[in-house]
Parts: sequence; structure tokens; C-alpha cells
Amino acid sequence: MNTIETKNLTKKYKDKTAVDSLNLTIKEGELFSLLGVNGAGKTTTIRMLACLSTPTSGEAFVNGNDCIKESGEVKKIIGISPQDTAVADNLTVRENLEFMAAIYYTDKEKIKERINKIESIFGLTEVENQRAKTLSGGWKRKLSIAMALISEPKVLFLDEPTLGLDVLARRELWRAIENLKGKMTIVLTTHYMEEAEHLSDRIAIMLSGKIVACGTLDEIEKAAGKEGKGLEEAFVTIAESGVSANE
Amino acid sequence: MNKIKAFSERNRKEILRDPLSYIFCLAFPLVMLIIMTIVDTSIPKEAVTVFHIDSLSAGVAVFGQTFVMLFTSLTVSKDRSGSFLVRMYASPMTSKDFTIGYILPMFIISTVQSIIIYIASFIISFITDVGLNIGGMLISLIALIPSSIMFIGFGLLFGTLFNEKSAPGICSIIISLGSFLGAIWFDADSIGGVMLKICKVLPFYYCTKSARSAIKLDFGADIFIIPIIIVIASAAVIGLLASLAFKSKMKADLS
Repeated sequence: MNTIETKNLTKKYKDKTAVDSLNLTIKEGELFSLLGVNGAGKTTTIRMLACLSTPTSGEAFVNGNDCIKESGEVKKIIGISPQDTAVADNLTVRENLEFMAAIYYTDKEKIKERINKIESIFGLTEVENQRAKTLSGGWKRKLSIAMALISEPKVLFLDEPTLGLDVLARRELWRAIENLKGKMTIVLTTHYMEEAEHLSDRIAIMLSGKIVACGTLDEIEKAAGKEGKGLEEAFVTIAESGVSANE
Repeated sequence: MNKIKAFSERNRKEILRDPLSYIFCLAFPLVMLIIMTIVDTSIPKEAVTVFHIDSLSAGVAVFGQTFVMLFTSLTVSKDRSGSFLVRMYASPMTSKDFTIGYILPMFIISTVQSIIIYIASFIISFITDVGLNIGGMLISLIALIPSSIMFIGFGLLFGTLFNEKSAPGICSIIISLGSFLGAIWFDADSIGGVMLKICKVLPFYYCTKSARSAIKLDFGADIFIIPIIIVIASAAVIGLLASLAFKSKMKADLS
């Protein structure tokens, strides 16, 4: 079953086309990476799927709900961790989670249960009384993703989740994301090849608003004629030749 | 309702955990109250009546409200400039939830601020041996509600329309205008002339006048009824404008 589907999804800003006739299907429980250089259209795609931006043309569906006409329904089943860590700085880690939980739930027991569960998944218990502004970059990212997960979303959007993190913090966050695999559909944007290679079930390479390759790592390597050479080699070949290797 | 409550709670904590909010919203008005009381005791009683505690307390309360406006604009503009509102826009919160969620905690902070200023004024009235009517103070606190909403509305409006660097600057202009043309530190009615005419063009003068009249239990049409109607109308207009501006910006952000 497809959780996300787009049909000729397009976003234009005046004379610049950020996303160009995107046709995409993402299966339930899949971790799907949108890979591309800066300005490729990854964040714009996520914004349209998360009802944060209205498409210029085309359609997008999340769990069968139209992202334009049924945005209210879509918002109930998605979670997003934006590129910058979107946390309330003067609130503690637990208060941030309580705040997000209270947006979705009214039952205090349910709120407590969700927070305890999320804190244990991300190991946030040890910093739960620390104010968000005093956390390191890695912890802030973890908190940001934890906040997106508090509502038990069916679809989680992670926009450049490890951007600016050191290698250890990045690896730790990868482990946290890996733990979520299969439990929900995850759409992740990144320009780190290693990240997409390590985490994804399928990868789409975006260039100038278009998907130029989409498939598993093996399929992308094969399409680029770089079997076993890794994603970076395949990406460079595809990007430089403009090879269209859509599934 | 739970969404508004959660967002209000977050905003309240964000502001009350910023030490600067205590300095500007509480310490500074209280210091001004004390300094102007000292000035009042140093000059002949008949020379300047605006520094008598029964006039000064209401003026300082309005002065304090202008700083609540500043912190409202800072909170909103800061949220807008970062990714925080992006996350919230992806949640089921509506523009109404956001608007009320910003206004409500600021209104409570503003009310507590006025109460503290009036308690301090009451203590000063004992020290300076000037009688302050408790009933008048309570009515004045109620008369300060529309001006509080008006200043919070200004804060929400500027925080919505300007970024976190520009919004405080615009608020500083309003703080200065509110202080001078609100006749907080001088008696505009005694001065009269062009100055009084300018004061009467803006709503700040009426905020101070209605609160001062209430504290003195003077409810004449010219000095209380008309001023309070003007303040209520201004609060309604500014509040509505701020709500519409936020809704419009939110729509533009999501386009």
C-alpha cells in the first residue's frame, strides 16, 4: 500500500521552478530518502507533502488524503522535524515534549505514557530537566525528532536531520532513526550520500526540481553503471550526465 | 481548547524564564515609580500634580504595559524567524489558536504587572502619607484591561509584520510615543495647546486618563467614560488588525 503519492507535483516561485512535475510513490513503512545538492527541491517537496506549502499544480496524497483539500486530516497523521531545530529554547526537554503532546492529546495519562516512551527511545531521560537552549546540537536534533514523534504519526518527515552534527552525534542519530524503521513511513532529505546509503530502503536523487533516479541502492548503482561502487559514484555520474534512471 | 492552553503555557514559560522580561516589565516601571515619587517629594506639591502617587501609579501601570508589548513582539517575531512556527503549522493548530495562545499569557502577565505596581503604589502612599482608595485602585485595574489588550495587540501586530531585529525597534518608537504622548510624565491637560491636541490624536493619552480617573473615583464623561470608550475601541481595532495580520501571514507562509 502506498502511503505517499504525488502526481505531476510542481512548485514555482515566480520564474523559478523549485519542484518540476514530481511523480512519486512511497510505500507504507518505507524509509525513503530524497537526495540532492542544495536547491535541488528536497525541502520544497517535503513542505508540500507536510501541507506547509501549496503546490502550483499537480496533486499530493498522504495516506489517501489530499494535501490541499484535506490538509487538516493530513496534519493529524504527520510529524515533521524541520531543518533547523524547532524547539522551545526556554522549556526543558520534558516540557517541550509535554507541550507537543498537549496539542494532540487531552488525556493526561496518555500524555505521560507517550513522553516516557519517546524519552526512552531517544535516551532523553538523562537530560529531561535540562532547558533546550543548553543542549548540544545532537541532543537538540534528537529532541526535535522526538517532538515530531509524540503524536504517533503515520508519516515522519525529517528535513536534513543530521546537518551540522559531528560524526559521533550523526551516528547516534542514525541509530535512533534506524530504530524507527518499519514502524512508520519516513521521508528523509539529505545531501550526505553515506546517510542515504546507510538508512534508506529506497532513494530518489533530485536535480533541479526533478527526480532523475529512484530505486534501491543497487538499482541506482546499476542505472548509473556503477555497480558496487557506492552511492556517491552513482550520484556523481547521474548528476554530471543528467542520466534519467527513474524506476 | 487544549491546543490554546498548551501554546499559552509554552509562551508564558518562554517569557517568564527570560530575566530581561523581569527587568523591563517589572523592575524598570517600579524604579520609575520610586524615582518620580522622590521627585514629587522634592518639589512643591502644587507645582506638578502628575507625580502625586494617585496620578503616578496609573501612568506607570500604562508605562509597564508598553514593555509587555515589546516582549509580545519579540516572542512572535522570534518564533516566526526560526523553524518553530513551521513545526507548529504542520500541527492541527489554527491561526485562531495561535493568536489567542499569544494574547492570553501576555494578558495575564500584564495584569499581574499592574497589580504589583498598584501594590507598590499603595505602600508608597503610606510612606508619603497620601491616601489611595483601594476601591479606586480595583476599578482602575479593570480600566487598564482594554489598554493592556491594545498594547498586546500592537506587539502581536509588529511581531507578525516585522522580523526579530526590526520589531523591537518599532516597539521602542511606540514606547516613546506612549510615554510622552500618553501624558505619563507630564500633565498634558495643564499644558494644553498643540501638545494636548497631538496627545488626543493617539490612544495612549486616553489609556492614562481613564486609569487615572478611575483611581481617583472620578467617573465624569470627559475624564473617564469617553476616554475608556476610545481605549476599548482602539483595543478592538488593534486586536482585530493583529489577528487578521497573523492569519494573512500564516496563509502567505503556507502558500
